Amino acid sequence: MSADRFPGFDVLSQRKHWDPVTAGVVLERISNVRDFRFFTPDEQAIATVLCDRLLGQDGDDRIPVAAMIDARLAEEQTDGWRYADMPEDGQAWRDTLAALREDGFADATEKEQDAQIQAVQDADDKWHGLPAARVWSLWTRYACTAFYAHPDAWTEIGFSGPAYPRGYKNAGVDRREPFEVRDHQPGEDPVR
Amino acid sequence: MSKVRERNESAWLLPNDGTRTNHGLRRDMRRFDDTDEIDLVVVGCGAGGSVLTQRLAREGWSVVALDAGPFWDPDRDWVSDEADSHRLYWTEPRVIDGADPVPLGSNNSGRGVGGSMVHYAGYTPRFHPSDFETFTRDGVGADWPLSYPDLKDYYAAIEEELPVAGEAWPWGDPHIYPHRPHPVGGNGEIFLRGAEKAGITAKVGPVAIVNGRFGNRPHCIYRGFCLQGCKVNAKASPLITHIPDALAHGAEVRPDSMVTRIEVDERTGLATGVHYVRDGISRFQRARMVAVAGYSIETPRLLLNSASKRFPDGLCNDFDQVGRYLMVQGAPQTAGRFDAEVRMYKSPPPEVSSEQFYETDPSRPYKRGFSIQTVSPLPITWAEHVAAQGHWGGKLREYMSDYVHWSCLGALCEFLPEPDNRVTLADEKDRHGLPVAKFSYTKGDNDKQLMKAAQAVMEDILHAAGADEVITIDRYAHLVGGARMAADERHGVVDAECRTFAVPNLFITDGSVLPTQGSANPALTIMAVAARAADRLKGSTR
Repeated sequence: MSADRFPGFDVLSQRKHWDPVTAGVVLERISNVRDFRFFTPDEQAIATVLCDRLLGQDGDDRIPVAAMIDARLAEEQTDGWRYADMPEDGQAWRDTLAALREDGFADATEKEQDAQIQAVQDADDKWHGLPAARVWSLWTRYACTAFYAHPDAWTEIGFSGPAYPRGYKNAGVDRREPFEVRDHQPGEDPVR
Repeated sequence: MSKVRERNESAWLLPNDGTRTNHGLRRDMRRFDDTDEIDLVVVGCGAGGSVLTQRLAREGWSVVALDAGPFWDPDRDWVSDEADSHRLYWTEPRVIDGADPVPLGSNNSGRGVGGSMVHYAGYTPRFHPSDFETFTRDGVGADWPLSYPDLKDYYAAIEEELPVAGEAWPWGDPHIYPHRPHPVGGNGEIFLRGAEKAGITAKVGPVAIVNGRFGNRPHCIYRGFCLQGCKVNAKASPLITHIPDALAHGAEVRPDSMVTRIEVDERTGLATGVHYVRDGISRFQRARMVAVAGYSIETPRLLLNSASKRFPDGLCNDFDQVGRYLMVQGAPQTAGRFDAEVRMYKSPPPEVSSEQFYETDPSRPYKRGFSIQTVSPLPITWAEHVAAQGHWGGKLREYMSDYVHWSCLGALCEFLPEPDNRVTLADEKDRHGLPVAKFSYTKGDNDKQLMKAAQAVMEDILHAAGADEVITIDRYAHLVGGARMAADERHGVVDAECRTFAVPNLFITDGSVLPTQGSANPALTIMAVAARAADRLKGSTR
């Protein structure tokens, strides 16, 4: 990660302005991550590493992405639909984690793990009998949805989070609310 | 046209004390017994079902509107949060197939009273006159059994009831809107600036978000969470635009009621009511007329699941039309990166649009066209854009940290109706034991060309506005068709009045009846078609 682009910005400092229902779900998300219920301990171990690699998490204050996915699958908060050539999402997670286990993912070095992940993204067709592109989509969809649901991620990207009932008064290019913090590296387009 | 309050008092029936739901109106609503033979039972309280319910309740009909989902209270049930808004979507199991499977759920499927309009962006453009005769004009798609002038007054009426805000509209049949255009945020500003430099006309609107007070509905607060359900009551959905008036005129809304089968009397050939499950108990509501408004996946599924001796291949499916010609719009989104901060999350995602490329351009190799609109994804959705570029790990995080610098446009490409793009029944069953829908979709060549052309125009606009980088994600939006209207039963399921060809007292009043889709968001047209069907029904005997 690059250095802090929004120094001093903390979306949670605004929580007193959130409506109680929204504050309830967001604060529960950060304070009360439940025990794993869906993944077996073996699956949990692999899912945790996989999700941390997918989101480049290697520090101490990690967003518990695998636990958030586990909660979603345990409560069947999936999108409902599945591809005809894939099992439903919960089973697809189990199958793909088992495939990674078969490949020795858990015991590999970080570099090897990254290579194994990259191989799924690069595969043209099947990966362990499943369409590789759909596996990639499953992993990244769930991992990103969990990660960017977390206030720490909002703070990291300068997003102001829940906005009811206050709303915004200063919309427009280069306009900010009093509590928003300017990007201190505006020219640092990461792919320029 | 009479004053809107005299036609539809919904906005005045909502509370004006800072809360959003008139609990007294719901508590005191008229209630019918299953054994009452009511005038009309409506299946689904979305855009089409709610308008039909409100219109006929006003005529004194006894109407029960069933919905599989909850009777929402924006204060209690909705949040200003992307992840926790999944409950707004239809997430019962479905299978997607074909060469280009279309993801469902959050993107295009609603649940509960208000339907998908609870989480639509809020764009409410009219269809163009050409949309009703694409086959005659362009040799593609289908002609409707009605034309634009048949819907024009209904468009204007619904635009007042929502109400719609926007600039004077120069495209299609030029018209004005009842509310002034909203001020724009960063994303709208970029679109307007880029379009002007690129020589493209763009206009603010048309969005069904009140600009100023409307009845007891307050002004928009520009918080950007339109797609998560409007906690303000500023963005229109039938929950606040038609249901309150329907209740005040004696309709019953029965939420949490999943309709499983339409019953048709073998002897008379008439529908007699609907089977539904509420609180785990199977019930049957008797009715003199049935209207199905479950949208393009669940409406065909319900018809197919209502097979009988008379209709062995599914109700109204004598000519294998049920479930066919289901359409989605190609909806690529192109984003541009600016050194300035855009912070596109600050404002409703629907702000500015252009219909300059809507019609067939004879100089192009493809037929029909596309529209362009601001979209403004929030972080989880924005992460899909970034992940779609192939980024993951630390690279994805870095790219995401750039969020405030991006502006995002979306196109709606008019994909053409094809018979094989359809809903059938899958082998697997839902928790009620009913076969789930399988939706198969494959793009055609014209569709693919439109996607490319739309992307190129969006890139031009963003570059003209000063973007130093652009990225695109290919996706789909909206559903229409699946039980389309046609001139006869060999080409569709219902006639121009939304009456099924096969069962004279069975109607379909939702997006599934649309034979083509234009490049317009469908909500307004679905409401207008339902309002017209209601008008025709008024004159008939109950």
